[in-house]
Amino acid sequence: MANSLRSYLACIRNTLDAAMCLQNFPCQEVERHNKPEVELKTSPELLLNPILICRNEAEKCLIETSINSVRVSIKVKRADELEKHTGKKFLRFLSMRAEAFQVLRRKAIQGYDLSFLITNYHCEDMQKHKLIDFIVQFMRTLDKEISELKLSVNTRGRLG
Amino acid sequence: MPKEEELMACFNRASPALVEILSRLISVERPTDVDHCLYEFGSVKYHIQALALEPHNIYLSVSTPPLSPEFLLSNGLPNYILHDIKNMYSDVVELIIPPKEGFLLTMKVDVTKFPNNKDDQMKAITEISSIQAAILCLQLKDMLWNLGSQDKTNAICKPIKLVYHPKEPFFVVRMTEKITAIFPMRFKDNSDVVIATSFFQELMDVGYSSACAKVPRCTWSPIPPQELRGELFHHLTTNGGFVSFDIFPQHVKGAKVDKTMWILLNFYAYVKHYVKCTRAFIQRKMRQRLESMAEVLQKARIGGGEEDHKTLGIASRKGCSCVKKVFRLSKSQIFRKKIQTIRWRIKVKRLYRFRQRWFKILKFNSFRKYTKLD
Repeated sequence: MANSLRSYLACIRNTLDAAMCLQNFPCQEVERHNKPEVELKTSPELLLNPILICRNEAEKCLIETSINSVRVSIKVKRADELEKHTGKKFLRFLSMRAEAFQVLRRKAIQGYDLSFLITNYHCEDMQKHKLIDFIVQFMRTLDKEISELKLSVNTRGRLG
Repeated sequence: MPKEEELMACFNRASPALVEILSRLISVERPTDVDHCLYEFGSVKYHIQALALEPHNIYLSVSTPPLSPEFLLSNGLPNYILHDIKNMYSDVVELIIPPKEGFLLTMKVDVTKFPNNKDDQMKAITEISSIQAAILCLQLKDMLWNLGSQDKTNAICKPIKLVYHPKEPFFVVRMTEKITAIFPMRFKDNSDVVIATSFFQELMDVGYSSACAKVPRCTWSPIPPQELRGELFHHLTTNGGFVSFDIFPQHVKGAKVDKTMWILLNFYAYVKHYVKCTRAFIQRKMRQRLESMAEVLQKARIGGGEEDHKTLGIASRKGCSCVKKVFRLSKSQIFRKKIQTIRWRIKVKRLYRFRQRWFKILKFNSFRKYTKLD
């Protein structure tokens, strides 16, 4: 693995480790409602400063934290047209099957390719360190898969 | 798994439907009147007729659109093409002149002249069924060689527009030492353009390698090549660029001619087939990856993955069977069990014996109980 990728992922891992101290917090606006504050942003005192981690101009990760939820948005690099196409297709495929990953958001936030929304309920249901492992591994796999898809399409063309 | 041949059925010279009908007609024991009319690719028409009065003959008529508007076939096929066809199928086929109305060619197939061996019989049927491909190849060959030789100076400058699939014309330019086939590539979907473009680039790269030195040179360019200068604007507007093949005399020597012609006619279909297969391939790969990615998250669930058993149940590995049982139970079952345990009386081991020995309680009838009077 490239050094830059390793340090990029390590930085994301450490930030997530610090950010994912979530607790149950009922909505302050609506009675008997419990909503992810990072999405609603109704009370500024419940939000932390968002953290932007960049590997380069094309690859970055935005971590927004609130008292009861964390939103992780990632942008994946696309070198050429084919990579752009396979990446877009793969990300769309994953977003369409967001129910398979409980923490995946169906729609990414503007300017990013993919978003995760982790609430305190997820943290109660899953082990925190494994959840972080999942996100880091997901990012690593995404990168690898897009490159592999491009290579295999090219190989198919060569054989065809 | 379907065979490669089945997958590539659309590139076969023989029509699969015609092969089936002819083989049934030949193997039938009782002759009956049969009249089939079938269409292929929208514009190719076959008419198969067998009469009970003539049990040994099958009449096959074919109609196919002309490859080029310059090559109109209003009065049937030209004599030299008919002559070539006659030579190709001289054993079992007799040409009927003039052909049936609305058809280019009518043939009388003599069933008695078919070989008895099944394999040879199948081979003959396949050959007859590829009549449409033969007509097209002969037309193309004729256009490229005969027309060009008549007026070489014109043929160099003016590209011939050929239409095998409607809406997908391609151009052939005859030069003194080579023939250039130019395909303007159009796709409906942008993603198809990306896949096809990468394929053309790979095709170009492979063509330049030493291993493929003998194959026709392929070039792809996003802008129209010089040979197409002066053509109509709508022929030159594409989203997939232009693919050109340079065909030299060695590629059309002897038996190679038919193969080369058929490949040229089916290049569009092949590219579309490739794009479709690649899309399916990408989808398959993504589906495989999805499973492995979701598995990681499943393992993260408390009590969900194998590792949880390892981390939480260290004691269980040492052998406490009741702990193992607890981990196997679901949350609701654990809760029910806990409630049951709370409701149980406190048990002290050997208390019963101790009570029996030291605290003997006399039996007496309860006041609440009653005995039923007879």
